[in-house]
Formats: sequence, structure tokens, C-alpha cells
Amino acid sequence: MNTSSQQQNPAFYALLVVLIIMAVGPIWLMLTTSLRLNVDIMSETSSLLFMPTLQNYETVLCDVLWYDPAHVDYCDPTFGRALGNSIIVALIATGITLVVGCMAAYALVRFRFMGRDTVSITTLLMRMVPPAVLLVPVFGIWTFQYQLDGTRAGVILVYVAMNLPFVIWILQSFIVQVPIQLEEAARMDGANAFQVFFLVVLPVIKPGLAAASIFTFRIVWNEFLLANALLDRNTRTVPVTIVNSLTEYDIDWAVIMATGMLLAIPPIIFTFVASKQIITGMTAGAVKG
Amino acid sequence: MPRIRFDSVAKSYGSTQVLPPFDLDLDDGEFTVLVGPSGCGKSTTLRMLAGLEVLSSGEIWFDDRPISKLEPKDRDIAMVFQDYALYPHMNIAKNMSFALRLQRVPKATIDEKVSRVATMLGIEHLLLRKPGELSGGQRQRVAMGRALVRDSSTFLFDEPLSNLDAKLRSKMRTELAEMRNTLDKNMVYVTHDQVEAMTLGDRIVVMAHGLIQQQGTAEELFKQPVNRFVAGFIGSPTMNFLNAELAEHDGVLVASGDGFRLPLAEPLRHRLDNASGRRVILGIRPSSFRLATPEDAGGSEMELFIKVAEFLGAQLVLVTRCGEQELIVELESSTRFQVGSAAVFAVPSEDIMVFDETTELRL
Repeated sequence: MNTSSQQQNPAFYALLVVLIIMAVGPIWLMLTTSLRLNVDIMSETSSLLFMPTLQNYETVLCDVLWYDPAHVDYCDPTFGRALGNSIIVALIATGITLVVGCMAAYALVRFRFMGRDTVSITTLLMRMVPPAVLLVPVFGIWTFQYQLDGTRAGVILVYVAMNLPFVIWILQSFIVQVPIQLEEAARMDGANAFQVFFLVVLPVIKPGLAAASIFTFRIVWNEFLLANALLDRNTRTVPVTIVNSLTEYDIDWAVIMATGMLLAIPPIIFTFVASKQIITGMTAGAVKG
Repeated sequence: MPRIRFDSVAKSYGSTQVLPPFDLDLDDGEFTVLVGPSGCGKSTTLRMLAGLEVLSSGEIWFDDRPISKLEPKDRDIAMVFQDYALYPHMNIAKNMSFALRLQRVPKATIDEKVSRVATMLGIEHLLLRKPGELSGGQRQRVAMGRALVRDSSTFLFDEPLSNLDAKLRSKMRTELAEMRNTLDKNMVYVTHDQVEAMTLGDRIVVMAHGLIQQQGTAEELFKQPVNRFVAGFIGSPTMNFLNAELAEHDGVLVASGDGFRLPLAEPLRHRLDNASGRRVILGIRPSSFRLATPEDAGGSEMELFIKVAEFLGAQLVLVTRCGEQELIVELESSTRFQVGSAAVFAVPSEDIMVFDETTELRL
């Protein structure tokens, strides 16, 4: 089959357009809705032409803003607080996962100890358990045994445990590629085990760390199930808050959509920053081919 | 500089013994080359000295200090790796100063040392580049520089030139030979290339199958090899070996075999009693042959059938046949030979080495 005839086929373009609409449509809908007043959203004559406003964003962020938006009578702190919770939980969970994960991966790759292969395989098996299965036991243990329910620490702990297997697995494959001669050279240069790890191995596997951190951050950021069960009013993350604001009395679509837009921004920034670290050929020049 | 002494050092991996117990003395300030075919245990010996491999038994002494339990960093040893092993995330200056920075040497001292060594190696313009941006030869220099900056008492080289192309290798070899004369350090150099070993080593240790075959200067190894392995390993092109049988005629010991009959030197006859009928292996270096002149008649002459003539500039290498056995002959290229014809060559009888057929020791 020849590619040029494929491109000239109108059905091909139609398919492209459909796919684009499917991908961009919801985001576009969310963006436009977040820029409208509820009056515009609900009016029967809703049109594509409307006066964009940032009022909804002001409502969401009224707690964080340095001024009092004129249209807000009562500043509901829920959304601002949830955004803060999400950022704290996601960053701390990602940080702990990476620190523990890279050390565990290094030990699994480089050290010979009993049960090494078993541990290595089990870490991946753990990943195959769906979080929903863990929900009930974790809720029970966290609530009745350790009183961790409703705390950010509790949910961070679960997220770390949930993401560690995959992070260990991903980092193992990066560490295997670090030439052993590099570590030997560092040892000859007078580095102790920790210096070898932190000054030589970690910088070389930076792309792996970045990939793992993007992966972990996004999972934690989007996680709903466990957060919904374990967190309370004050510690809720954004996904839970959005769902909880859909009540039978009132659904403030404009504010929800504005929150949704804000929810999308941190992972984008995080991914953008972290992906700068993903450069290929990190070990170029270390050893001869 | 410490005197390094291996005292019945042995190495096994599990139940496989790769190095049976051996002793080795490396004198203070000496350039020692460990040479041998791959798998002979030379790299393992070096890595045990470096502290990267644990000894299975025995002890290594630096003067009177046992070091086998010390970490590599406590042994005052710098090492150049075969694959360079440069830190890819650091620039060249950082690579070279890594050890000094770990020792918390003042920055001014580090800068001074790095730039001195970089100038010596001709890499001062590369200091801000990353290893990935350098050519193989430049990386090799950096690896060398990283070791030199440290001012250790002992330097180890693990086949440092084996990844370079032939031209660069011979250039670096010359530079290393120069460096050897200017630095008063212990140097231990591992290679499988006997030319490197011959040009660099004050002392050469030939190893095979985990055993030290012979140690000595290049000249000793070339002229007085203890066994067939050393004789064949040292020298290029390699020595010719011929199966022969000894016989005594009129007080002269004669070795005869398929297509040749060569009288042997007088001292050999005294060393060997009742040698008649003994089966031996003759060793003749390609360079020992010369064209026979009428004076050689009846003496050590060999008629060789010329199969291939390789012109190498100053040298002419002939692949010849003597009976069923192949012989390499190296001559000055001024003579011309007809391929496919036969010619008569003479071998001075004192240049013929004789090895026992079973033990392969030189007689």
C-alpha cells in the first residue's frame, strides 16, 4: 500500500478530525464552561458566543488570592485547600517513592543476597493487585489500628507502597545499564559505597528517575479510590473534592470545571520539568562501546 | 614507593580455581608488565591488587603491611581501566579531580594539579567537555590523567591501549614509555600484546593458565625462554617449532626431522647426556634464518619451499614449507624470491632452541 494514496483518502481526514474532536473536545468543553457564568451555562439560548470571565477561577481560589473578589459573598475554602492537599500529597509521596525505590533497585541489581530473585519478582507481582482490592483492609487497618484515617500521612504511605514496585522495576532496568567499571573506578578513586551510589550511579540514571517520578506523580495526583476512603473533609485531594461537590442540591458546573482546569496544570508543569531530565545517551563516553 | 609482594595468593570462583597459589615480587619503582593470552589470570591478579576482587587465600604485602583486607581507597593505588570508565555526567576537569574532591583537597591545589597533568597529557583544551564528546584516544588520555592526578604510589593499567586503533596505540605506547621514565612510581601493566610488554616493561611476567611461566627483562624472555609457551608467545612473527629426533654423529649433536638435518650447538651436547634417539621440539626464530652461502655447505642448511612472500617494507616475510611443516622466515627485503621455488637457508646452530617434547621445557 502506498502512503500518498492513503493521505489523499477523505475518509482518512475524517477519521483524524473525529479523533481530534474526541481528544480535544472534553478539554475544550471544560475550558469554555469554566469561563462562563452559571447563567450562561444553564440558559436555554446557550451559544458559542459569550463573555468570558475569570469569576469561577476567583471563586475557586478565593482563599489563596491576595484580594477579595467582589462577586464572592462567602469564600468557600474547600477547593483551595484541596489543591494544596493534592500538591503536598503528590510531591511527598513521589519523593519518598523515588528515594526508597532507587536504593531498593540498586540493592537488587548489585548486591548478592538470599532471596534476591524472589524479591525482584515479587515487587512486580505486587503491582498486579488492583488498588480496589486493598481498599477495605487498608481502610480497616489505617482506621482501627493506627488511627491514620483522615491524615495526609496515611494516604501518602499507601501511595508509596502502591507505586514502589513499578518504580523499583523501572529503575532496576536503568541501573543494570550503568557499567560496573564506573563504580569500580569510583571505588578506586576513594569513594565509599554511599558516595559511589549518590555521586556516580544516581546522576547517571537521572533519566530513569525522571521517568519514574512522572509516572508516580501522575498516578498519585489522579488517585481517587483510596483518597476518597481514607481522607476527611480537611485533607481531601482535588479529585475527591470535585466528586463531592456534585450534590443533589446544587451542582456548580462553572466552579467544578474551573477546578478541573486547575487540576490539570500541576501534572503538566511537573511532567514538563521532569522530562527535561530525560535525555538519551546518558552513559555516552563512559566506557568503550 | 612500597615493594609489593604476593605471598601464595590464590583465587577461586566457587569450586573453580582460576589462579592456583603463586608468589610474585614487584620491586619498588619498577614497571611490571603482566602478559599472557586472554583468560590466563593476569587481569584477576591486577584486580586483586587493586582490591576489586577478594583473595581466596594468601596475602599481598606492601612492604610489611598486609593489604588484602583493605578497601581499594585505602591502598594508595590508582587504576586505568580498559574501557576508560569515565564518569559520563561530569566534565573532564571534574572527572580528573573526582578523587581529590573526595579527599577534600583545597580547590586551588586541585586546579593546579589538574591543569599540570592536563598539560602534560595535552588535554588542557578539553577540560570543560563531557566524555561523550571526546574521541577514543582523548578519553584514554583522560583516564590516564585521572589516575596521574592522584599521585598514588602505585599505578595499575588494565589493558589501557587495547581499545585504540593501531596507529594511536603505538603513539600512546611511546608516550607511556616516556612517562615511565619521568615518574618514579610502581606501575603494574596488564596486556595481551607482547609488543607492548616488550617495549614498556622493566620486568615482564608471562602468565598462562593461571600460572606464572617466566619473569624477567624483555631480552631474557626473548633469548632465554624457559619453555615452549614463552618462546612462542614472545617475539613477532612467532617462533617456528619443528618436531625432530636427536642423534650423535662424530661428537656433534644433530637434530633431524622431516626434510632437515641440523647440527646443534656444542654446549647443548654437554647438557644432554645420551641424547641419541630422544624426541624433541626445535624452536627457530624467523629472524634467525639467512640465505645460505657456500661456506655453510654441509652445516646447518635447510632447503625450504616458498609458498607465500609478504613484502612489509623493510622486512620480507616468507611462508615456507619444510617437509610437511610450515616455517616463517623473516629477511631483509632486499632479496627477491620466486614464489613456488625452493631456496636454501642457513641457521646459526646457537640460535636453535631445543624443547622437551612432553614437558615442553627448554633443554
